[in-house]
Amino acid sequence: MPEKIDIDYVCSLAALRLSEEEKKELAPQLQRIVEWIAQISSLNLTGIKDKELSTVSLATPLRKDVVQGSLSPEEALANAPEKENELFKVPRVIEGGDSQE
Amino acid sequence: MIFHSALKLAQAVRKREISAEEVINYFLRQIEVKEAGIKAFITVCADQALEQAQALDRRTDLPGLPLAGVPVAIKDNIVTKGIKTTCASRILANFYPPYDATVIKRLKEAGAVIIGKTNLDEFAMGSSTENSAFYPTRNPWNLECVPGGSSGGSAAAVAAGEAPLALGSDTGGSVRQPAAFCGLVGLKPTYGRVSRYGLIAFASSLDQIGPLARSVEDCALLTRVISGHDQHDSTSSPRSVPDYLAELSQPLENIKVGIISGDLLKDVNPEVKEAFYFTVKQLEEEGAQIEELHFSSWAIGLPCYYIIAPSEASSNLARYDGVRYGYRDLSEKQLLSMYQTTRTEGFGAEVKRRIILGTFALSAGYYEAYYGQASKARLLINQEFRQALDKVDFILTPATPEPAFSFGAKADPIAMYLSDIFTVTANLAGVPALTLPVRCSAKGLPIGIQLISDFFQESELFRLAFLVEKKVEFIKEYNKIN
Repeated sequence: MPEKIDIDYVCSLAALRLSEEEKKELAPQLQRIVEWIAQISSLNLTGIKDKELSTVSLATPLRKDVVQGSLSPEEALANAPEKENELFKVPRVIEGGDSQE
Repeated sequence: MIFHSALKLAQAVRKREISAEEVINYFLRQIEVKEAGIKAFITVCADQALEQAQALDRRTDLPGLPLAGVPVAIKDNIVTKGIKTTCASRILANFYPPYDATVIKRLKEAGAVIIGKTNLDEFAMGSSTENSAFYPTRNPWNLECVPGGSSGGSAAAVAAGEAPLALGSDTGGSVRQPAAFCGLVGLKPTYGRVSRYGLIAFASSLDQIGPLARSVEDCALLTRVISGHDQHDSTSSPRSVPDYLAELSQPLENIKVGIISGDLLKDVNPEVKEAFYFTVKQLEEEGAQIEELHFSSWAIGLPCYYIIAPSEASSNLARYDGVRYGYRDLSEKQLLSMYQTTRTEGFGAEVKRRIILGTFALSAGYYEAYYGQASKARLLINQEFRQALDKVDFILTPATPEPAFSFGAKADPIAMYLSDIFTVTANLAGVPALTLPVRCSAKGLPIGIQLISDFFQESELFRLAFLVEKKVEFIKEYNKIN
């Protein structure tokens, strides 16, 4: 029997913040899904080794080591929600110090 | 009718019997007439398409273009330079990609015209297109029913005659299930056959772009154009690409077809079961040897998929943080809160469910029991496919457990997940699989079957499908809706 899914903890790992209403709806659904997928734990798969886990064996083809074009700063920044001086702008990361704003 | 065959359309444009501009205008008019009822598109690129068609008409090398002047509808999770690409999500509602996906580049080189971007379940997560953040798409065979999903917009557009061809993506059945619901031929190519560069990632070890068409010939034509190695996707195969269309005429000899055993069909709708055994009979009449296969791992495909796909999704969707592109909640002044609010407001319910599920399956203390065990189960499925395809050339299954269902019929997530019971295994194993319509239900809804073959045997798959297609003559059913 799978354990109870700790939805607050998992949401914190996934950078999601659910409202109480959303939690009420999602928590029982997720619990049922977890119970449903847990049926694979009953399979005896001890004979399968980790190193065999790649299902498609593909060699990695390499390209010639030649410099190729890339996006211009304007193109790379075109979809940014906030930008300044050819840089992506984000809220303050480090606490304290003088604010630039 | 010429307008419904990409092959004939391209021939006519190459011979200049009709101009690319006339073709695109015809389809844009179809969209104008039909779109209010169907809602297959998120964006119709009328201006760009017209420009592309006019440029084609001025070219002198039309005879060398396999898709000369053929409009193609593109699922809105495949990036198109300068054309809005949303994934049917609020988080990408205003995203204008700075580059074309490799499949788009190849389509343009082949003379195809990008007519528009089609609706889908948000981030390709769903089986009905009801999870689109914008609106659901309707099934052209019955507007009260879903078109399937997640490539529901692409399927509906082709079935309604709004475009002769479309591209979708298939992670667990997202090309094949809507193809079956809308009476189309749909292919999930071998993993690595088609470049994923520019396909917005859902579950990278399962995702594959695939074609939707009304006929096997059109499907073969489109598959050849989009296939082949691409240096931007190191999982794309360097194997050469056969001329699938030319090879259709090569006969198949001593065909051995494995069919899944009766216990896997016990919950299947009776009309679907009938269509399945009807197909078996057609194959026998063509001299195929039929053998029942016992797949002990088939039933664990779905739970295995619902661990692996959400796990990969939870990692792939971590990039939507409101920094480089996409939606951002601008009111948040602290970084972590900005991430959380942006993602919480930007993603819909099903996407959140899967991110939470995947994060849980990968979290400390649960990783081995869920992701580890699912990875081993996936190998078991793969081994069973290898054993089966040593004995037989093809595997035949129904495409879906039932024909298209009504809106709202699958409110329970697990009930929705069960729509993909026959399709997910091919994604887990990496083998190619094609769905083909064989007949209509009493209520007039298409019913499809699925054919699976060994790695990189798309040509054989098309040839067998071509054989069945000629016998069942499903194309006649289209008279009922056109």
